[in-house]
Amino acid sequence: MNKTSKGKIANGLTRRTVLSGAAAVSLAGIARAQEPAQIKVGLIVPLSGIYTRPGQVMKMGAEMGIEHINAQGGIKALGGAKLKLVVIDCGDTTEKAKNAAQRMVAQEPDLVAATGSYLSSFTLAVTEVTERAELPVLTLSYSDLLTDRGFKYIFQTAATASRQSELGLPTLMKLAENASGKKPKTVAMLMDNTATSVATAKALKEKLLAQEGLQLVVEEVWTPPLSDATPLIQKVRSAKPDLLLFMPNAVSDAKLGLEKISEFGLGQGKIPTVSFSITIAEPDMLQSVSPDTVQGIMTIVANWGSKGHEALIAELKARYKEPWMTQNVISTYGDMWLMKEALEKAGKADRNAVAQAFRTMDAGPSKYYPGGQLKFDEKGRRVGAGVVIVQWQSGVPVTVYPPELAQAQPFWPKKS
Amino acid sequence: MLRMRSFLPPLLFTLAYAGVSLGVTNSYYQLILTLVPVWAVFGLSWNLLSGYTGLISFGHAAFFGIGAYATALGQIYFNISPWLLIPIAAMLGGIAGLLIGFPTFRLQGHYFALAMLAYPLAILYVFEWLGFQEVTLPIKRDAPIAYMQFADPHIYTLLGLAIMLATIVLTQVIERSRFGIALLAIKQNEAAAEAAGINTLAWKLRAIMLSGAIAAAIGGFYAQVLLVVTPQSVFGMLVSAQALTVAMFGGVGTVWGPVIGSVILIPLAEILHAEAGARIPGIQGVIFGLAIVCVILLAPEGLFWKLRDLLRKRTASKATVSDATETAAAANVTALKPAARQGAATGQVVLEVRNLSRSFGGLKAVQDVSFRLHKNEILGIIGPNGAGKTTLFNLLNGFLKPSQGEVLIDGRDMSGQRPHVICEAGVGRTFQVMRPFLRMSILDNVVVGAYVRARSDEEARKMAADAVVRVGLSAVADRIAGELSTKELRLMELARAIAGRPRILLLDETLAGLGHSEADEVVAVIQQLARDGMTIAIIEHTMQAMVRLVDSFLVLDHGAVITEGLPEVVTRDSRVIEAYLGKKWVGHVAN
Repeated sequence: MNKTSKGKIANGLTRRTVLSGAAAVSLAGIARAQEPAQIKVGLIVPLSGIYTRPGQVMKMGAEMGIEHINAQGGIKALGGAKLKLVVIDCGDTTEKAKNAAQRMVAQEPDLVAATGSYLSSFTLAVTEVTERAELPVLTLSYSDLLTDRGFKYIFQTAATASRQSELGLPTLMKLAENASGKKPKTVAMLMDNTATSVATAKALKEKLLAQEGLQLVVEEVWTPPLSDATPLIQKVRSAKPDLLLFMPNAVSDAKLGLEKISEFGLGQGKIPTVSFSITIAEPDMLQSVSPDTVQGIMTIVANWGSKGHEALIAELKARYKEPWMTQNVISTYGDMWLMKEALEKAGKADRNAVAQAFRTMDAGPSKYYPGGQLKFDEKGRRVGAGVVIVQWQSGVPVTVYPPELAQAQPFWPKKS
Repeated sequence: MLRMRSFLPPLLFTLAYAGVSLGVTNSYYQLILTLVPVWAVFGLSWNLLSGYTGLISFGHAAFFGIGAYATALGQIYFNISPWLLIPIAAMLGGIAGLLIGFPTFRLQGHYFALAMLAYPLAILYVFEWLGFQEVTLPIKRDAPIAYMQFADPHIYTLLGLAIMLATIVLTQVIERSRFGIALLAIKQNEAAAEAAGINTLAWKLRAIMLSGAIAAAIGGFYAQVLLVVTPQSVFGMLVSAQALTVAMFGGVGTVWGPVIGSVILIPLAEILHAEAGARIPGIQGVIFGLAIVCVILLAPEGLFWKLRDLLRKRTASKATVSDATETAAAANVTALKPAARQGAATGQVVLEVRNLSRSFGGLKAVQDVSFRLHKNEILGIIGPNGAGKTTLFNLLNGFLKPSQGEVLIDGRDMSGQRPHVICEAGVGRTFQVMRPFLRMSILDNVVVGAYVRARSDEEARKMAADAVVRVGLSAVADRIAGELSTKELRLMELARAIAGRPRILLLDETLAGLGHSEADEVVAVIQQLARDGMTIAIIEHTMQAMVRLVDSFLVLDHGAVITEGLPEVVTRDSRVIEAYLGKKWVGHVAN
């Protein structure tokens, strides 16, 4: 009943500004038919505080994406309009992220889409704002909750956390079986108690381990930062599992654990070690541990620079001195192309049209995300989103699964 | 009248703020305008406990987070409206305050602060363990108003302002009442407060319950504004720190401190974040930190007090003329000095001490002391340093429990009772080390002592004013204690001790640090009190003043009574001279 009128009062201002902004863009387009207009897209990521590093890496991906799109003629449906990146720092707390999102929608009324915000807590807060401002947001954050709220303006490009563990473990088991000729039977699990690890472990314990016929022989949880890994690794050594799931979310914790594994003579794949997050494959790792210590370790991630991305990886190396392409770079790069796709489809620089384009898009196989299509279901989840398995080989984490993306053959260390 | 007038500034401030808010159409600025009252209220809740009692809490996030989670989870699991959940959150916060306060108030100082730090950190892990790492408020598209989800962001600001105004008024009411005075007294000296008849544990528990309730309510509102609740965002260290930051920046122990701190710091942080942070990410933290460090260095007690002191200095330089009248008033008291008191009072016994002993390990600080205090008598208790005089007083007013013996007040055995109980029974005392409330006026300082007898705030103020007149400080009653001389402070302490109309007054070195003429003035006041019917026991070193003041002496050495009797007799007693001056002087004096 009076819902609509309320909505009008609420969003009147923003919507009016948006419309006038859109009108201005198209008017300008007509007036200066020769000179293509600019279309603003947002990147809202942490650029200060403890999550700065992933934010910076995402910015690299976005900048490269924008540059490539513009170099190839911009948005053709809009007369070759160029994309312009608006970078917003979402800080290191949920409150700062919410404030930054409010700033983004208030100060940048002509944004047509945005991507962000690394940590799922930040993305949750940011999308509470963008949903109300009707600004479509792409995200690599994979918390299930993000797309369980009935929101219409969020689009999740990665497989959700629960889906990732569902996909990851069976794949890993297959990999083990193919490489070593036998299926692992026992497993040890060492994890910190952050949101991601807890969610993954829950899925593993409740369903997946039993499904794969794995017996959990050691389970240890720590609160970051880990001060001494000795008791954890001692338990692993005495239990001698076929598989070790090691789930840190801080580089320092990963380093302590891996060094201890190596010290106890379990390294180099004596006990095959698998992780479930990007932490263990971050370039920072090599600053604190030797390539030997990490050799053979695998991790299951949402995305990774893989086969077919060689030119991109080389460019990233040359421009930003990044040794390899993590999920944060490649996904954000892909987000720019996805926004371009939607703008071409929408045919106008309007956030609602772009959102509608995301919803109805069906652009075939995805080039910059693993598996599936460039298509979103009614919840805003990318259809068929898969996972990537990465393995440390001679000082570089390379993609070993899925086969079509694999840069190298996986090796499954044999028990001595 | 005075009360109504004091509510005017917060009301005007709130209205002005609301006016500014309604003029702002940018939704981002509006959000900042909403967060200012949120953090101001959180700072005020912290101030209510820590600012007034001086018990620093590093863990106010515990209450804030409980409120935020109660409001979020209540909506998710029970579909209750936040209009109802925020009051419920306040109740939970109050209960949490009681549960946390009861064990933690055993600790003091840094230990209390550290113990408080532990609560939110522990609760944080509980919520993580429960699986509430990320909780979002369900969007209610069909009944937004009933679920406090306004499309117009102005309403959040107005709601936040309403909560802030309510909290300010509540704090002001408390500040002026018995409650606030009790808290301030605890801050200055918990022991002295207890001695002045204040049940310190009860008041501290009330303070933490109220503080917890306010913090939880605003935490609930914050969840409603932020829409996402994570353990870090409501139980984290930064949240507890935010309360301290706004309060300490603005001024601790005043209602305006947290408000000033929040009005300046919250927008400043955001502007830095938006402007400086956009150019050099991370620089905002550095500038913000430096700004706080500079202000704290220049105004260690916060901006409010610094500004007030500056203002006072300016007005004080204009008002030096009034000092002349003050000296006249003091002289007036001196004129009342009597020639000499005739003989010892031999009326009824009001205080009787029987075989009182107290030892600390092997040290017998007080051993087997017995004496009687008659109505209207002035008893001087003397003895060299370490003779056990102050320990004796501590046994009399309940700070220490006697190992043996009893203390009878009006024939009733009161030994081992808590100090505020003994105070209620009619025993007042002053302390060797003065504990004035430097920021408060003399009258306000004295009111603390009056509440033990007063039934209402008005009565307490009347009794305090009366006490101020009796010690001859009425001319300076409105000056703040920080501006007084040692003599005036001594008299003020005396006024505080007699404001509750005790029948027995224990004075601990009231003349210490005073010059000859000053001591005479204080002596005159004490004599006048005795003439008015008070019974007094006084510890003193200065023999000269004592001889003229007291009716009889009780001499202690090594915790035991050496002798007692009339001044003339006692001062010639060789044991007394030996105790004070050593053996070789005994002969000298005798000659």
